[in-house]
This record gives sequence, structure tokens and C-alpha cells, in this order.
Amino acid sequence: MTTTFPVDLRERCAELFCADLAPMLRRLGARDKGAGAGAVLHPDDAATREGVWAALADLGAFGDQRQRDLVDLAELAGWALYQSPLTDSWFAAELLTATGDPAYAPILRDLAGGATALAVAMRERPGDEPTEPGPLHRHEDGTVDATRSVVAFAPDAGHLLLVGTDGGRTLLAVVPATGPGVTLRRHDDIARGDLYTVTVTHGEIVGAVHDITDQYPAALAGARIRHAAYLAGSARGAIEVAAQRLRERTAFGQPLARMQALAYRFAALAARTAAVLSSVRAGALAADEGADVRLTGAQVLLLAGVLAQEAAAECVHVHGAHGMTEAGDAQLFYRRAVVDAAWLGRTPSLRREAGRLLAHTRFPPR
Amino acid sequence: MTTGFRDDVRTLLEEDSVRSTVADIAAYPPGTEVALLDVYRRLGERGWLAPGWPVEYGGLGLGAVENAIVTEELTRAGIPDDVHVLCVDLVGMFLLHAGTAEQKARHLPALARGERLATVLFSEPEAGSDLAALRTTARRDGTGWRLRGSKIYNLKSQYGDFALCAARTTDSPVAMHGITLFLLPLRAPGVHIEPVPGMANDRFNLVVIDDVRLDDADVVGEPDNGWQLLNDMLQLERTGIDFHAKARRLLDQTIDRAAGQGLLDDPEWAGRLAELDATLRAGHALAWEQVHALAGGRPDPVTSAMAKWYTSEQIRPILTAGTELAGLGAALSAWDGTTGDDGTWEAALRMGPSHRLASGTSEVMLFLIATNGLGLL
Repeated sequence: MTTTFPVDLRERCAELFCADLAPMLRRLGARDKGAGAGAVLHPDDAATREGVWAALADLGAFGDQRQRDLVDLAELAGWALYQSPLTDSWFAAELLTATGDPAYAPILRDLAGGATALAVAMRERPGDEPTEPGPLHRHEDGTVDATRSVVAFAPDAGHLLLVGTDGGRTLLAVVPATGPGVTLRRHDDIARGDLYTVTVTHGEIVGAVHDITDQYPAALAGARIRHAAYLAGSARGAIEVAAQRLRERTAFGQPLARMQALAYRFAALAARTAAVLSSVRAGALAADEGADVRLTGAQVLLLAGVLAQEAAAECVHVHGAHGMTEAGDAQLFYRRAVVDAAWLGRTPSLRREAGRLLAHTRFPPR
Repeated sequence: MTTGFRDDVRTLLEEDSVRSTVADIAAYPPGTEVALLDVYRRLGERGWLAPGWPVEYGGLGLGAVENAIVTEELTRAGIPDDVHVLCVDLVGMFLLHAGTAEQKARHLPALARGERLATVLFSEPEAGSDLAALRTTARRDGTGWRLRGSKIYNLKSQYGDFALCAARTTDSPVAMHGITLFLLPLRAPGVHIEPVPGMANDRFNLVVIDDVRLDDADVVGEPDNGWQLLNDMLQLERTGIDFHAKARRLLDQTIDRAAGQGLLDDPEWAGRLAELDATLRAGHALAWEQVHALAGGRPDPVTSAMAKWYTSEQIRPILTAGTELAGLGAALSAWDGTTGDDGTWEAALRMGPSHRLASGTSEVMLFLIATNGLGLL
């Protein structure tokens, strides 16, 4: 059943991702520096995360949404640096839906209601690319083995989607995150978020193992467009934080905001952000219309990843040494951008992939 | 509707006679440049040169979307769009929005038919981006005005019938106050037009206005309100559509050249071109959002400045990439007679700096974004 809302998703969610709540949202799920595998969340933090997730579900973030609506929400989430299973859950839902397996219907129903989250596990090693998932081993008894690293929010997820390869095909297997044979170990990363190594040994699967060789590139492209929206949103957030600093901080007898070199640098970043967001919206619209958006996905993510890192670095810079302290948000943008920019493809890989797709698009093989 | 309109325009521009004109233009000898081409008249007689204008003024009563389509298709076809920009997007648009009924009736139909050429006279030797510093004066003379001053870096004035000319009508401690826009007949006694040698194919002109008398009927908008009018109107021009179209044509040429050299199989070259393509797609999406905002009556000065800045900044890295691909072949002009591309790349290189200067420099755009968008400066 699709619920009809009187106003669009962005407008509904803007009340959640607002300036008043941004400082809190930006710190949700944050762990202490160097806390390692045993890092724990403050109980209040866990409860707040659950509350935000439930609110998103109530606002319709997980139902049958058009891509053009999801990118609007992703951009808001990026602006708020809301680290969560949100974008991975959308990616997972698209993969599950693509299989057409009715065994996944309860999972999708729970996701739509906010009762669960999903994690996509693709990489065997942290430096691997999502276009080349790690190996997935199938046992005769129907269970699977896989090792995956940098899996986001695995403990929050009801199910893990193991994307893997076997015999040159791309496969999908779904295992309960707390099922037998599944172990999790938290990474300690620069964003201090929730990234895990997942080891699955004779993991029991839900439904069947599906060959998604044909569906995976399109689903990844859609996820990249949404993630580009998130990154562009984070760039917008970093620019706003920097502009605020420039207006408030006085140096050499005048506000930093009066200094043309700084003002123009952020004006250029703001224009680039606007352009990336326009491209994201155009890509989402094309995806809604059933177009092949693989090239678009690689291209917008390429631009957005570079932009988010640059905006974050400049944001820290204009704060001076204060920008490196935990008193402000600048360092959050900087640290998170390292992870977020590479999440669905590193810059050099995206450039190569886009080059290959561009050549293929412009000069199709005969 | 818009797909059909685009198809119709494209079909016309793909006719042999038009292709022949494009080839002729590339081979123009030095000192010859495009004025009122026959293709403009053919577009004009169908109402396609200014499709967004009301039917009574020679348009089709459509909107900003169709105007943008014409700009894109002209550039795609390789037809220089300077005359179209000057006559329709600038002078025509000013008259449409701020002209009197008599001015509209007198000028717009001929501009829309591609039968008359209008130019703009804003920049002066000592007033470029800082237009408020202009020194051309218009003093009251009975029921009229007397204009004196010099205008420079204007295009096509040697072919123009009249020009939209900015002059100071009131001295004011606030420089932006007291500027008025006039319609200046370029063939009037007292108007002297001289070439200013430059590196582009289209020449710059110096127009000296020596005590030319105009009537109140030649004032566009209210006297002394020219600054506001300029700001409002130039914003409407800055969708970025024209700059993107030029960048796209250049990048497509570059990609074709790379393919011809087998370099699309080289991951480094393919990746570089794909990144340029990504920025152009982003610029295209941003420009079209401005067009739709205009069509919906919601133009935004900040995002339109962003669109102009972003799209015009793309041209330089494309020229760099294409020139690196062509090597010294990029340096050979159409007049050399041995280049494979009719020398269009060499001409594009000479035009290169103009894109970041025209319609407000990149720095003016960044100023608008920084001040009005980010609350800085």
C-alpha cells in the first residue's frame, strides 16, 4: 500500500533536518576517538537514533518513493551529516525488489514501516570497489560463506545483503545480521562511525541466492545518484558552516567575510554544489523514467565526492586551528567526507569507469 | 510540444543551404564576419527566432523554454549566435519587458524577423564591469536629450540599426543612481564607429557619440532607473544555456578527435574527457533549471549567477584538452587552408577568454553569489 502525503518528501523531512537539530544529528552515532572494536554508544544516542529512524519511516522515507524524491531527502541528510543506514537501506531495497523473490516481502515491509534497516556488504577488503564485489561461496546445504569489510551499521541492520561473485556472475544472498555463523567486528575509522568487518560462515540465507549480474549495475547507479545527493548536501552544509564562521570571526580589523579571496572561494564551491545537485536531480528524473543511468551515476558521484572533500577541507581551513577541534562541526565534515566520498567508488576508479561508459555510449560497439 | 519544436528547428538548421552557410562562415576572409544571415530570416519568418515573444511582435507566444531551445540548436548547428543574443536575448528582451508600446511595435517585429540588427553600448574605455563608472552623458535639451561619450568593446555595431545605450542623466554621489537607457540610432549624424583591432574573428568597435539628440520616446524604462533595469534584465539573460551550448560543441569535437586518435581506449584520456563531460552535464542541468525558473516566473539572481559562472568556466579546460589532443594542429587557422577542422578550433581558442568576460565576468558572478547567496563581503 502506498500512503499519500499532502506535501512532498523534502518538505516533510525538512522539519527533521533543520538548523536547530543539526548539531545533534551531526553527532549521532559518533564514538570516541580510538575506541576500537569495543566502542560503545551512549544509551541516549542509541535511543535518539531509533527515534530519528522511526520519524523518517513516519515521514515516508522508506515507502514506494520516486528517485527524484529520494535524492531530495538524501541531500537533506547529507546537509545534516546524518550517518545512518538510510542510503544503504534504499540500495538494499532496490536490490531485493530487483530479484522479485517473495521471500523478501516481509523484509521490505518491515523497512517501509521503519521496523528494520538493511546493510549492503560488497567489499572483501576496504580498498575494493563496489563494481567488483568479493567472492561468495555457496555450500551444498544452501548456506554461504563470505568475508566483508567496511559494512555500514551492520548491528542496526536486520539483514545483511551479501553481494558477491562466483563463476564470473554477480550474486545476492541475504542473511539475518544476528543469524548463526555471522560475526561482526567494528572498525575504528576516521569518521568514527559504524563500519564493520562481517564474517559469514555457513550463514543461513533468506530465500534463494540470486544471480543479479544484469540488475546490479543499474541498482548501483541509482545508489550512486542518491549518494551523490548526500555528498552534495554535505558540501552545502560545510559551506554554510564556513560562511557563518566568516561572518563571525574578525581578523586584521574586519570580519573574515569581507575578504574577497575567501568569499570567492566559497562562492565557487556553492556554484559547484548547485550544479552537482542539478545534475543529481536530472539523473534521478532519468532513472524514474527508466533510462540507463550508469554513466550518470559514475559522473555525478565523481563530481560530488571531489566537491564534498574540498568543501570540508576549506571549511576546516577558514576556522583556523579551531576547525580541528571538536568544539565545532567543521572537523565532522572533514572526517566524514573521507569515508563518504569513497563509499560507492573512489575518484580514480569512477573516472576510469565513466571514461569507459562514455566511450561505450558515444561509440557503441558494433 | 518542446520536443516537436526542437525537432522542427533542428530540421531547418540541417538543411543543405544552412550547412553551406556554416561552411562559408568558417572560410570568411579576415575582416568579414556574420551579420544578418539568411538563416535568421528563415527562422524569423516562422516565429522561431524569438518564439517566446508575443505573436504581435513576431514570436509564437511560447516561453523561455523555446527561446533556450533556439539558442541551443543554433550553437549545435555551428551558427554563430552573437546576433541572436544581441537582438533577441538582450535588446529585444529589454524592450519586451521595459519598452513602451510604441517602442515594441516599432522594433520588436523586425528583430524577430531577423531583418534588423540591434546592439548594446554599455562598456566604455574606463567602465567595463564597473558600469556605474560610465562617463557618457545625456543632458536635457528641451523635450529631448543630448548624448556625448564613447562606447567600446561592442560587437556588430558596424552592421547595427540601433543600440541600447547606457548614459548618465543625473550626477549623484551614489554612482548607480542617475543612469538611463536609450535607443540610439547607429546611423544618426554624430555617431562614429571605428574598429578596435582584436584577436577574435568578430571585431570590437569604438562608438563615439558626438552630441546626438534623442527624444523622450527613445528612453527605455524610467529616466535615472537604468541601473535597476540593467540588473533585472541581465539576470534574465544569465541562464548559462548559451555558454553551455558552446562548451558542449567544443567538447563533442574534442571527444570525436580523441576517438579518431584511438584515445578513448586510453583510460587516462577517456577518464579526463568523461570528467569534463560530467561537468558539462551538471552545467546543462543547472542552466535548464534556470530556464524553467524563468518560464515559471521565478528567476533567482543567485542561482542564475551560479549557472553563468559554472557554464562559462567549463570552456577553458575543454580548450586545453582539445589543444593538447591536436598539438600544433590546433594553432593552424582557417586561412592556413590545411587544417582538418576548417580552423574552427584555432578560432575557438582566440574567442576563449571572452566567455568568462561576457554577460558579467566570472568575478562579478562570484561577487553576486558571495553577497546575495552567502551573506559575505
